[in-house]
Amino acid sequence: MSAITPAAREPKPKMSVPHGVQGSLVSIGSLIVGAGLWELIGRHTQQSSFAPFSKTMGALWGMTKSGELPRAAESSLELFAVGLAIAIVLGFFLGLLLARIRVLRTGLEPYILMLYATPMFALIPYILSLFGFEFRAKVIVVAMFGIWPILINTMEGARSVNQDLLEVARSYRSSEPKLWRHVIIPYTLPYTMTGVRQGIARSLIGVIASEFLLAATGLGSLILLYGNRFDAAHVLAAVLFITLLATLLMAIGRAIENYFARWKAGV
Amino acid sequence: MSAVPQTVALPRAFTIAPRWQRTLIRVATGVILLVLWEVLIRWLAPAFVARPVTIARALPHVLAGHTPPGSPPFWGSVESTVAACFEGLAIGTVAGVLVGLTMGRLRLADRLLRFYINAFFAMPILAMVPLMQLWVAPSKARLAIVSLGAFLPICLNVYDGARSLPAHYVEVAKTYHARWWNVWFGIALPASLPYVLAGFRLAVGRVLVGATVAEYVLSLKGLGYLIVYDSRSFHQDVMMVAVLVLALLGVSINVAADVATHRLLPWHRRSE
Repeated sequence: MSAITPAAREPKPKMSVPHGVQGSLVSIGSLIVGAGLWELIGRHTQQSSFAPFSKTMGALWGMTKSGELPRAAESSLELFAVGLAIAIVLGFFLGLLLARIRVLRTGLEPYILMLYATPMFALIPYILSLFGFEFRAKVIVVAMFGIWPILINTMEGARSVNQDLLEVARSYRSSEPKLWRHVIIPYTLPYTMTGVRQGIARSLIGVIASEFLLAATGLGSLILLYGNRFDAAHVLAAVLFITLLATLLMAIGRAIENYFARWKAGV
Repeated sequence: MSAVPQTVALPRAFTIAPRWQRTLIRVATGVILLVLWEVLIRWLAPAFVARPVTIARALPHVLAGHTPPGSPPFWGSVESTVAACFEGLAIGTVAGVLVGLTMGRLRLADRLLRFYINAFFAMPILAMVPLMQLWVAPSKARLAIVSLGAFLPICLNVYDGARSLPAHYVEVAKTYHARWWNVWFGIALPASLPYVLAGFRLAVGRVLVGATVAEYVLSLKGLGYLIVYDSRSFHQDVMMVAVLVLALLGVSINVAADVATHRLLPWHRRSE
């Protein structure tokens, strides 16, 4: 090991392949090796518990062609989008409100942190008894999973607004609405977007959890259905699809975060 | 003793000490929230839906170990869940720190593993629960889910920490002939400790969700199973006591992590 460390760092100047290309080559290589390992393990285990890469791909293709997967994905994404949208809007405005009104913040902060620490999964049966198990209840579950990081980050962001900015704005006799539009909200948005990125991951958990526990629809129901049939290839295909979808959504989240944080880069 | 405060108290009568004021506001808000909850549920929801009053009534019975017939034992479930969570946190923290350090210090490891770690981090791990059921015994499956849930955020945070290590620290160490393990465990690890704790906080949330979901899907003794069972047999008040225990668990682990940050890393201040 000690021999590898210096060797890996020293020959850098000698490399002729451009740095980025070399890096992506290694990454692509690692993906190919991963798929190969998957295939190898899959061929030497029971077909009911694990499936080789090729079979999983076959199942993925089959489910796509039959329309099963696109339908499930559409249903899950709809749930995700509506739930996350509610979480963002509510989280943002509640966060701003709590940041600007001190009594509210002092009063509610411990309870918000407590809810943030509670596994939301445990509250799904309660939501079930209040709102049923259809789309409405599931949207509430997804929003409840996603809202807390958005709310807390917005609150922290709006609280940390630079006092100089506020003073300058006030000394130019900025009205309260203008102060919000030109100072507080632009300053807070990067923080909110950090929360949104975390909220994306949590909302996805909420989507799958609600599909497991409330009315089984979408990608969650695919997993349950094929899991109960001991059809590992189809379960793996669904899990792989969810993983790719999640990676894509997280990448979008990160891009949005970076976009809003661009003026903060120098700080 | 009794005479002194009276004379001193006069000017203070108008302004309560800020700390007490804060506590007062918080308690008052809590009471308002509870009353709202009680009134709304009583007014709008069916009788079996838990409200603060019914939960408070059930609390002593449940804590004494009297659960409704057929329901899993309360303390046994608590023990099972808590043990799995701590075991998973321990495994996930150790593995996360080691892999995170390796990825942060070795570019090759970074490139080989980055994609996998990020993909697993992004996906809801609970989607894997039905699959794990096919591989190992239920309790092992829960441990795997919980450990993975703890591993991923800690690994990614340590990775960030090890990469943001100021280059001159390493240069100075190299000048003094530090070996690689000195750099890894003497410099990179302590420098990443704040990141470890930040990852730990994320891990706690994922661990609790992972454990409860696994218990539900796998019908495994624990709070997750108890919650689903009691809600389906219309014993919501008992269910809510279990939810309270989970909330308490989450809060207390987070508070412990905060205290540890202040005690062990006094040089670390939140930069935000």
